[in-house]
Formats: sequence, C-alpha cells, structure tokens
Amino acid sequence: MELIRAVHGFVRSLLFLLLWSNCEGRESELNYVTCGSLVKLLNTRHNVRLHSHDVKYGSGSGQQSVTGVENADDANSYWQIRGKPNRPCQRGAAIKCGQAIRITHMKTGRNLHTHHFSSPLSNNQEVSAFGENGEGDDLDLWTVQCEGVHWERDEAVRFKHVGTDVFLSVTGEQYGHPIRGQREVHGMSSSNQHNWWRTMEGVFIQPSQELIRHDEL
Amino acid sequence: LKVAAVLSSYSLSCRMCILPLSCRRDFYKILGVSKSASVRDIKKAYRKLALQLHPDRNPDDPKAQDKFADLGAAYEVLSDEEKRKQYDAYGEDGLKEGHHSSHNDIFSSFFGDFGFMFGGNRQQQDRNIPRGNDIILDLEVTLEEVYSGNFVEVVRNKPVAKEAPGKRKCNCRQEMRTTQLGPGRFQMTQETVCDECPNVKLVNEERTLEVEIEQGVRDEMEYPFIGEGEPHIDGEPGDLRFRIKVLKHPVFERRGDDLYTNVTISLVEALVGFEMDIIHLDGHKVHIVRDKITKPGARMWKKGEGLPNFDNINIRGSLIITFDVEFPQTQLDEQQKDGLRSLLKQGSVQKVYNGLQGY
Repeated sequence: MELIRAVHGFVRSLLFLLLWSNCEGRESELNYVTCGSLVKLLNTRHNVRLHSHDVKYGSGSGQQSVTGVENADDANSYWQIRGKPNRPCQRGAAIKCGQAIRITHMKTGRNLHTHHFSSPLSNNQEVSAFGENGEGDDLDLWTVQCEGVHWERDEAVRFKHVGTDVFLSVTGEQYGHPIRGQREVHGMSSSNQHNWWRTMEGVFIQPSQELIRHDEL
Repeated sequence: LKVAAVLSSYSLSCRMCILPLSCRRDFYKILGVSKSASVRDIKKAYRKLALQLHPDRNPDDPKAQDKFADLGAAYEVLSDEEKRKQYDAYGEDGLKEGHHSSHNDIFSSFFGDFGFMFGGNRQQQDRNIPRGNDIILDLEVTLEEVYSGNFVEVVRNKPVAKEAPGKRKCNCRQEMRTTQLGPGRFQMTQETVCDECPNVKLVNEERTLEVEIEQGVRDEMEYPFIGEGEPHIDGEPGDLRFRIKVLKHPVFERRGDDLYTNVTISLVEALVGFEMDIIHLDGHKVHIVRDKITKPGARMWKKGEGLPNFDNINIRGSLIITFDVEFPQTQLDEQQKDGLRSLLKQGSVQKVYNGLQGY
C-alpha cells in the first residue's frame, strides 16, 4: 500500500515536472507546420526541393511542370499550405496528420496536382501544377501522412494524393535542356524511401490570440 | 513627502541619467500606453513610435538616439510577461541583469533585416547590386481583425550567405578568343571566363517577425520586410512581403469603410415595431429601436458603426442595415382573414405596372 502511494506520488511529481518544463508561458506552435505557411519541401532521399516554374510539360497533360532542384535560394521552390476549397483552414492552426491540404505554388498560384498521365522520364504518374489563383479542382488534394498528432517542421512526412492514392516521390531521373539537372517529381503507388519530405526554409505563421470580445461597458 | 515628490518627478523625466544605477524610466509613458495595456496594444504603440523616432528620420534631433534607445528598452520589458511583472513590482532597478536583445533585433522583427528604408521601398542607388528573389505571402485576415487590428507572429527560416574557406568562381561569362593558326589564318572560339571570389555557403537561420494588421487595412495592401526574402550569393537578399487578403464574413459585407448587413424580422414586428441588438465585430452591441411600420427592403443607417478608415482611424464608415420580412408560415383560416380585414382597414390595391422600368 505504502509502495503504491510512493509510486503514485513519484509519478505525480514527475508529470508535474514535465508539464512545468514544457510550459513556456504561451502556447507555442514554433515546431509545427501551420495553415497559411509558406514552405520549401526537401525530398530527404535525393536532397532536392519541390519546385515549379513557368515551363510546361512537352508530353502528358502539357500542364505546368513540377521538378526537384538542388539549390536552396530559389523563390520558385516556395509552396503555401492551404486548406480544402470552401473549407479554409484557420490561419496559424497546426496541420494534423491525416489532414487533406492543398499545396499552392507561390509564384504561379497553381496547385500541386496529379492525374492519370504518364510522367515523361520514368513512366510513373505525372505530377503538375494546375489551376489559377489558387483554385484548381478535386485532384489538388493531398493527405499529410505522419506519426503523432500534428505535422512537425523537422519531421519527414509523406504526401498521399486524394483521388489516385499515389505518393509524391522522386527517384532520381534528371531532365536535360532547358531545365538541366532538375529531377523528375512523380506519383508512385508504393510507400518507400523515395517519398519522404520535410520542410526546410519558409515563413511559418504562428496562431494569433483570439480577438477578445467584451460586453458593452 | 517632499523628497518623494522630487524623486518621482525626476524618474518620470529621466532620460540622461547621471547615476546609471538609479535611472528610472516610465516605460508606459514612453510607449504612450496605459498600465493595463495588452501585448497587442504595446506592439502597436512600439511599431508606430519606432517609425517616428528612428534616428534616420530625425537627423536634426541630438536626443534622437536616446529617445530611440528608451523606446527599445520599453518595448523589450513590457512585451515580455516576466520582465513586465518585475518592472511593475520593482521598477527599472528591479530588472534582473540578463541579456538584453539589441534594439536592432527588435526593430528588424517589425520591419526586416536590412536597416530602415522610408516607406519600405529600396533606395534607387541599389540598381547595380544583384538582388535575390522577393517572396510574397498571401495573409488571410478576418473582418474582426480589420476592425480591431491584430499582430501575426511569424517564424522566418531563411538561407543566409556566410563566409566559407577557399575561393569560388563568380561572374562567369562567355568571351571570344582569337587564336592564330598560321600566317594570316585566325580562329575565333568561345570560352567561358570566370572571376575568383571569396567562397560563400548558405546556412539556414531563423528569427521571429511581427506583422501588424492595421485597423482599416484594405485588400491587397502589402507589408514589406526588407531583406527577408531569398538571398543572392553575389548581392543582397530580396524582400518578404505580406499581402493582405480580407476574408468574407458571414454577417457583414464590406464596401470601403461601410459595412452592410441584413436582418429578417417577422411580419408582426414589421407592422408593430421591435427592439433588438446587433453584435458588432468587436463584441459591442448596436441597439436598434423601431416603433413605426418597417417595409421590406427598408434601410437603416447607423453612422460611425462601420470600419475605421485606414488613413485616419478616428473616422469611421457607417453600418447599413437592410430589413426583410418573414411572412407567417401557416395558412390563415376564414376567421383570421376576416379579423385581418377589419383590423388593417386597407382596401384592395391590385395595381399592375412595369416594375423593371421604374414605373
């Protein structure tokens, strides 16, 4: 009985200590990827960043191409994390594992998209950038697959397409002129080492405090 | 009592203190906020005053540096929950010796890294220096935020050019070389020629930025943060710009500084009058009293209940309320119909006309 009480007391003080050490005054979402944030996504296996530009595929759908690039200082590698159409996510709210999001290319306003076309180099599924001003269609949705509750900034995650169920991947094939050295980004049905991505550079929005509504004085 | 009065007046006006240990500044007064000001009020006050008091803006004022330094110190203490508690209890003397963030850090978290450019635009002389890409982030804001203002904290993780050992090739260009193959015979070939520059590597750094959503802000307005964009290995970084996107609201519609809303009232209320409250964007109630008949489509103007004007927040637009009437859902029996005919005493009208041409 004494032993149980002692263990109980120990666990309680341990929990209290853990709670206290994690408490930083206000709730901080510094480590999560949040709605509205602008991010660069790095494929961890091939060390290239998800990228798009005003260059269209010469085959397949003929839509704007999406590639993987090696350099870290190109603004064309920025993508904005947004909610589903007609159900915007709240600015600054951490994205949950399993949540469906749109990934919108900052510079061109087109959404990361995939469909039943073959990719030019590897014959996997073509991944393109589609839409205007952030609005495309139902094939713009991707589910974030990760461990835990929320998508953490330094965590490797997978992106599974809602609709065709492929994973966003890079397997290393390289393009020639005019985008020499850039890697092919495509959708593949198996989950493997080629479909891990993590956020790198970016602008991560923190949640704002609720605007207080006071009663009439 | 006299000594205390002298000491308190000394501390309030203390800017250049002779004895640094007993220097007591009134941080609330420096920022122009009340003792119960929220963190948001403090950030707003700092941002406004920082633009006014920056030494670059006041080259003729010999006290500009000190005023600016005081402002930085005031913000640093009052924006931190712990430090503010200590200051409220013990004054400036009571603040622990800790690391104080340089005022440059505080200033650049509101305005960007690359010093201070008036109006947020780069000076013309930078034309020849290559610049990194600009980043534009669409920032969604609610109408509540447009009404009351708000601050958005953002963590910027960006690549920064750092010195590295060795050299690298830079300014590579194609040049034509002429080689002599024999007497009178020449060949021109193209060659890539590069200069040698100090080596540079990109390292990711992180900092917090504060974006203010000012009261009355309009759609598409931009808040630039100079130098927070993408780096350029041979030049300066580009800018980070937040572009405001005002979201639609379920109750209010914005037109300029005016707000429009609709209210459905019952037929009885329309005929006999009613009293109600509309809850505004910051929670305050707009009281409406009607004792006359209200026709469907009738409009009520409430001056001063619109949005604050961005250029002068003391001017507000109006709230325009349009009423529509909900008729009873159940059909009336003969007795009710007779009752209505005698109550209302309105004869049959049945006027036929072209309503689409304004007759």
